[in-house]
Amino acid sequence: MAAKKAAPKSLSLAPVLDLNEAQALHGKLMGMRGSNITIDASAVERVGALCLQVLMAGAKSWEADKHAFTFSKVSDAFTKTTQLIGVNIDHLMAKEI
Amino acid sequence: MDMNEIKEIFFQECEEQLAELESGLLRLNDGDRDPETVNAVFRAVHSIKGGAGAFGLDDLVSFAHVFETTLDCVRSNKLEPTAEVLKVMLKSADVLADLTNVARDGGSVDQARSKQLIRELEALANGEAPPPAAVVEAPAAKPAAAAPAPVVNDEGFVPVAFSFDDFGGEEDVLIVHPTYEISFKPKADLYSKGNEATLLLRDLSRLGEMSIHCNMEALPSLEQMDPESAYFSWKISVKTDKGEDAIRSVFEFAEWDCDLEISLADEGTAAEMTDEELPMQPVPFDLSVLDDEPDAPVGVVEEEERLAAVHESAATVAAAEVASNVVQLASTASRAAAEPKAAAPAAAAAQNTAQAASAAAPTIRVDLDRVDRLINLVGELVINQAMLSQSVIENDNNGTSSINMGLEELQQLTREIQDSVMAIRAQPVKPVFQRMARTVREIADITGKSVRLITEGENTEVDKTVIDKLAEPLTHMIRNAVDHGLEMPEKRVALGKNPEGTVRLTAKHRSGRIVIELADDGQGINREKVRQKAIDNDLIAADANLSDEEIDNLIFHAGFSTADKVSDLSGRGVGMDVVKRSIQALGGRINISSKPGHGSVFTMSLPLTLAVLDGMVVTVAGQTLVVPLTAIVETLQPEASAIHSFGASQRLISIRNSFCPLVDVGRILNFRSTQANPVEGVALLVESEGGGQRALMVDAIQGQRQVVIKSLEANYTHVPGIAAATILGDGRVALILDVDAVVSASRGQPLKLETSLAAAG
Repeated sequence: MAAKKAAPKSLSLAPVLDLNEAQALHGKLMGMRGSNITIDASAVERVGALCLQVLMAGAKSWEADKHAFTFSKVSDAFTKTTQLIGVNIDHLMAKEI
Repeated sequence: MDMNEIKEIFFQECEEQLAELESGLLRLNDGDRDPETVNAVFRAVHSIKGGAGAFGLDDLVSFAHVFETTLDCVRSNKLEPTAEVLKVMLKSADVLADLTNVARDGGSVDQARSKQLIRELEALANGEAPPPAAVVEAPAAKPAAAAPAPVVNDEGFVPVAFSFDDFGGEEDVLIVHPTYEISFKPKADLYSKGNEATLLLRDLSRLGEMSIHCNMEALPSLEQMDPESAYFSWKISVKTDKGEDAIRSVFEFAEWDCDLEISLADEGTAAEMTDEELPMQPVPFDLSVLDDEPDAPVGVVEEEERLAAVHESAATVAAAEVASNVVQLASTASRAAAEPKAAAPAAAAAQNTAQAASAAAPTIRVDLDRVDRLINLVGELVINQAMLSQSVIENDNNGTSSINMGLEELQQLTREIQDSVMAIRAQPVKPVFQRMARTVREIADITGKSVRLITEGENTEVDKTVIDKLAEPLTHMIRNAVDHGLEMPEKRVALGKNPEGTVRLTAKHRSGRIVIELADDGQGINREKVRQKAIDNDLIAADANLSDEEIDNLIFHAGFSTADKVSDLSGRGVGMDVVKRSIQALGGRINISSKPGHGSVFTMSLPLTLAVLDGMVVTVAGQTLVVPLTAIVETLQPEASAIHSFGASQRLISIRNSFCPLVDVGRILNFRSTQANPVEGVALLVESEGGGQRALMVDAIQGQRQVVIKSLEANYTHVPGIAAATILGDGRVALILDVDAVVSASRGQPLKLETSLAAAG
């Protein structure tokens, strides 16, 4: 495995992920490259398309790096928005072991 | 709050936005390349567009849209804001202002002009730079349906969907609703303007059964992405009976910022779609969680919910009429919902660049009538207070100290109240100055001259009445300055001047008055020509020997015009005398100073308010008069040795080795028939409008006080030599002296006197 055995980093998402948050979220993700990451989206009340773009780009990049990119917890609003705009995050959900 | 009130607020905001727009463009024109300035300009146009869209002002929306597109090219550095570009933009700002006015007051705009500008703006946006669509050119998801999608063109013409279910009878109730295929590809602007794709999709999902596929192919890797750009695009199919219009209305505020294609899929294509390799996710109908968004105003959400309920009940009826009504309701709701969203980008941008925009103090809008009523009342209060003090003084010789102290405090308070109330009416001259910028542009265009208007001191405040009445004379003068004052560019080059003429408009406070100066760097007054014209018009004798100043002042004479040809703009010979009269009607003065080859300077001095006046109360032949304090330079007690006779009836007073004509106010106003003895009276040295000084003879000075101006014209009729009236503390009416008129009258007909003076000298 290319990945070093490092503890997965975790990122808790802000409740409101709108236009203003996209840049910040991008910065946070960029700073976490190179190791497995779990994302806690349980506090999310509102998420916009821009932040979802950032998250999906992150998932793509993590996949390319062969690191794990998983959502540990997601809020109802987060799930519904992803369903609404047709973004499938099922494969990114943490699997119950 | 009914719709009209909201609309009124919108127009008021439009005015502010237009002012913002113009000042921003002018700053750009001056070489300001601050991105925040460009943003401010862009926001101004965008806000107008957004608001106009909400009120269905299509002309305004379509023009603002084209304008905005071009501005966006400037914003994204695709279009260099050169002088030519800004010229078109400034003109567009003018047209936008016209369109706003027409939308509010009715009337019509110059269609040809706005069409022409639309073409120019489009040429700028397309010709010299790629259109903003190129910002994110990702492989677009083409709609599967082959039907040509109706495209919204720039005229704001939205093709009406022709959906057959509208004609459906009862048998349609059980029939499956038509499916629309929608290809929705946002551009970065959609987000930067505060629209949110998720909300659009949510609104769309409310129309009926929706399946969606999000195309993420364009999404780059994390490090390559711009988090505020648009990468997602969607293919959506909606099964709805609301028709295409309802779908379009969802995208109403975003349609310019996205590629949107809507087509009616027949059953075959719909099936094909679902069978394609792109898996469509069905969207759950329960989206209640999304409704709790803190940014959506509660009222709107409730309204939407109510409307959604209407939709559902209407769907079962399936009558064409009801359906179309619902569409209307739905679009109203989406407009209402979109408004706060439109406001969001401005707020966000303001946050980002808080340091650029100075924080505006909170303001309220008040009806002018209310302020005027307050001012009237305060005026009465001042008079009443003066009367009270007077009667206390008269009735109580010693006056107990507590009453006197109380009265003094009352006096101070009333004075303060008055000042504060006056301050409410005080407004910066900025709006008038900005209007002048437009005048300059238009005249420069017509005359083929190149002119730059520089304004200074726009924030100088003056009473609103003064501002309102200032616009007309200023427009006249600016026209004159550009039309007569400035030379044609070729001539300027030949003279070694900058081909671009400069007109400088400044405002400043000076000793309790506002001084407005209009300077041009043109050819100055052609004194030879003025003189010849005056002789031709029998205004002066052919051999009259006039000083330069006297010749310059000839242009204020009624019926005087030096233009060889009467142009559309000026030169009808009604210009400057009208200007002078309107300035005088405001209690102001106007002066010219002109240097041949270097230009002319017009200086206007105006009172800050037309409601109160600091005056010197004087006695003339037993009458009480008030002389405006601003006119008085000094007062003196003449000595017999200083009085010199001059000619038949003129007298001069020698003050510090210079002679000054004595003007007997009592004689001029016909208060008495014989000349008063100057030694027994007091001389008030006043500055007259020609710049010279005159000594006004009065019998005695009573004191100095602030008086409330009561118009004589409004209550009685105009009296020559009298500017207005006031009520004194003892309840009597005192007349306020029109110093300039009295001085002119002392010379007989002003120009006759000048000739006679000249002949004598």
